[in-house]
Amino acid sequence: MTVKYAVAGLVLMLLCGCETVQPWERGLLAKDGMQWTPDIMDARLRSQIYASKEASSGGAGAAGGGCGCN
Amino acid sequence: MQRVDHSFKAMGGPARFRMEVDDVGLADVAVTAAVAEVERLERKYSRYLDDSLTSRINRAAGTDEVIPVDAETAGLLHYATTVWRESGGLFDLTSGVLRRAWDFRSGRLPGQSEIDAILPLVGWDKVRWDEQGVSLPLKDMELDFGGCVKEYAADSAAAQLQRHGVQCALVDLAGDMAAAGAPLHGPGWPIGIRHPRARDSAAATVILPKGGLASSGDYERCMEIDGVRYGHILNPTTGWPVGGLVAVSVLADQCLVAGSAATVGMLKPASQGLEWLEGLGLPWLAIDMDLQCHGNLLEAGSH
Amino acid sequence: MAAQKNDRNPALMALTSSALLLPAYQSVQADAPPEFAEAGMQYSKYKEDDITGKKAFGGGSERFDIDVAQFHLLAPVLDDWSVAVDVAWEDMSGASPWFVGESASGDPKVIMSGASIEDTRTEVSVTTRYYFDRGNGGLSLTYSDEDDYESKAVAFDGAFNSADGMTTYSGAISYSDDHIDPTQGAVPTNTTSASKDIYSAWAGVTRIVSKRAIVRFGLSYTYRDGFLTDPYKFRDSRPDERKEWVASGGYRRYFEEQNSALHVDYRYFNDDWDVQSHTLDVAWVWDYSPAVTYTPFIRYYTQHEAEFFNNLAQRDQRYFADDYRLSAFGAFSYGLRASRKIQNWEVSVDAERYQTDESWGVFSGEESPGLVDFWRYGIGLNYIFK
Repeated sequence: MTVKYAVAGLVLMLLCGCETVQPWERGLLAKDGMQWTPDIMDARLRSQIYASKEASSGGAGAAGGGCGCN
Repeated sequence: MQRVDHSFKAMGGPARFRMEVDDVGLADVAVTAAVAEVERLERKYSRYLDDSLTSRINRAAGTDEVIPVDAETAGLLHYATTVWRESGGLFDLTSGVLRRAWDFRSGRLPGQSEIDAILPLVGWDKVRWDEQGVSLPLKDMELDFGGCVKEYAADSAAAQLQRHGVQCALVDLAGDMAAAGAPLHGPGWPIGIRHPRARDSAAATVILPKGGLASSGDYERCMEIDGVRYGHILNPTTGWPVGGLVAVSVLADQCLVAGSAATVGMLKPASQGLEWLEGLGLPWLAIDMDLQCHGNLLEAGSH
Repeated sequence: MAAQKNDRNPALMALTSSALLLPAYQSVQADAPPEFAEAGMQYSKYKEDDITGKKAFGGGSERFDIDVAQFHLLAPVLDDWSVAVDVAWEDMSGASPWFVGESASGDPKVIMSGASIEDTRTEVSVTTRYYFDRGNGGLSLTYSDEDDYESKAVAFDGAFNSADGMTTYSGAISYSDDHIDPTQGAVPTNTTSASKDIYSAWAGVTRIVSKRAIVRFGLSYTYRDGFLTDPYKFRDSRPDERKEWVASGGYRRYFEEQNSALHVDYRYFNDDWDVQSHTLDVAWVWDYSPAVTYTPFIRYYTQHEAEFFNNLAQRDQRYFADDYRLSAFGAFSYGLRASRKIQNWEVSVDAERYQTDESWGVFSGEESPGLVDFWRYGIGLNYIFK
């Protein structure tokens, strides 16, 4: 099941964005709101809270350390 | 390391790349890309070519047609606006039309009425442009990117050589130079600065490790009438020659900036030009009407 | 030497900065440390809704009340390095479900830990990062300590840009060594000392799709080995291994007319405990003005129950857990973050409401009476050293 998703995702990625965007055209992408994670502390907090209340974790990097989440 | 030179003609003058490379094959690929880049810019911005962007813009002057511009042209328009502002309106890419009144081969001065007829067509603030397009509101107005394209082309050609793996290169477009990396032996590229009187020999040698060196000279085209020298650098607000400094050379991180700095130095009356050049904080050299040398380029630029 | 005293002459600065916008001066995306150092603090509080008498024995009880203080520092070091320090202090107090029993009418109800639990956790993480022209690599060390749990983790991550700067390939691996020494007292525990190891690897690709949009796709695998049972839950017994797979995708798109960026993130989780989940996060980062930004967000989460989840233990169950966290449910949360910039400072406030219900999930299963809802509030302060 996961393999299906993996392949679909990769195909999607290859299909989109075939025209090169020149470095001087990347101004919009540099805006604060376009950063992948605009706020580090907020992301760490929410990720920690959800992982302690749900059975899933991860999504944006390797797992890292654990905690005695009860 | 091998020394490779490539000479060609571009932008109305002699062009040369001086490089030091390990792999001559790599140099060939790089040279091809850099020459193509210079030719691309010439085809796009030359006012002498009918199908250039500049010619299309000039043909549409006075009509409602807005000529679309890409990011590069918008960037040049933005740059030209910045220089126009910093120079107090003296650096003006619309001032080219004044050449219609001045014929330096004739030895004849234009009448004030001839100049007055053209002056309304000059004025960067009249140009309508934004990120998407440009238009000239009055018929017979002209845009001439010549005031920055050659220096920009030198920088762009040097960047192309660098991107293709050449680590020591000097681009020389008829005196406008951009270095991408110094030669292996020595602190930089040795460049001769010409003295206006002795046209064939160098007045001094400057070492350029990286960045750009641009020169502006009023000694190539001029007329002398009744003992008064009329140079071809015209003040866009009066239409008359500036009569300021005779030659200026400036060293900057970009040949484009060096070129504009030098040009503005020439557009101001002599003493103001010297103040402008001094105030920028860049290595500079200027020669005045009395053929006196000013500036710190020779101390700062040589080792 | 071309010695430019850029900080002295405004005319030169104006010409140079205007020139640098032109194509010839753009080097292909060279990776570099952040230009300025930044520091930030955030205080958050989240309070779980009380559990009612309908779901718990003893007429209902409060649940967790958690205060979190965070500190963050990111600074460039020399020309090619950066250092980041992240600290979090978490103070938990309240009651937690101990186990699930059957009421007189046959409904499953939670028996809460009677006395109040009090625990403080401190986590410190330091990351050093090296930047080279086509990417960067980072090494992180994290130490987490609380009354009954200690975790030491090391992680290494890297990112590499393609020649045209349009694609970034990233990867990360981590190892964590955890120890649990359960606090005796509030409830009897089923172990006094145990440990576990967590190994994880992640790979991702990020791609610029247009002048205003980027997309990312990632895959990760995590292996947990050791004592995975919850020591505070009566009769809880879980396998001593857990293998997890995560596939994730994200999209960021800028809308010029609205001065806003749309953030969409999707995650699919699957493990060998039969837990599967889908998560969808959507946020709208709206620059109301150059100084003020509002970010409303919603999140939808749904999970399948673990293979051994039951409210009441079945006779021949090898593994068992009645922990609501392993039951089938759907969770929906929504919230708003608002921030204001004042020169080099930025103040932010945010609030979120999180609610769960078995019927909101796409996977059906036994509904746990212990499902939790909470409110979260936070206030933060950031400073950029310009």
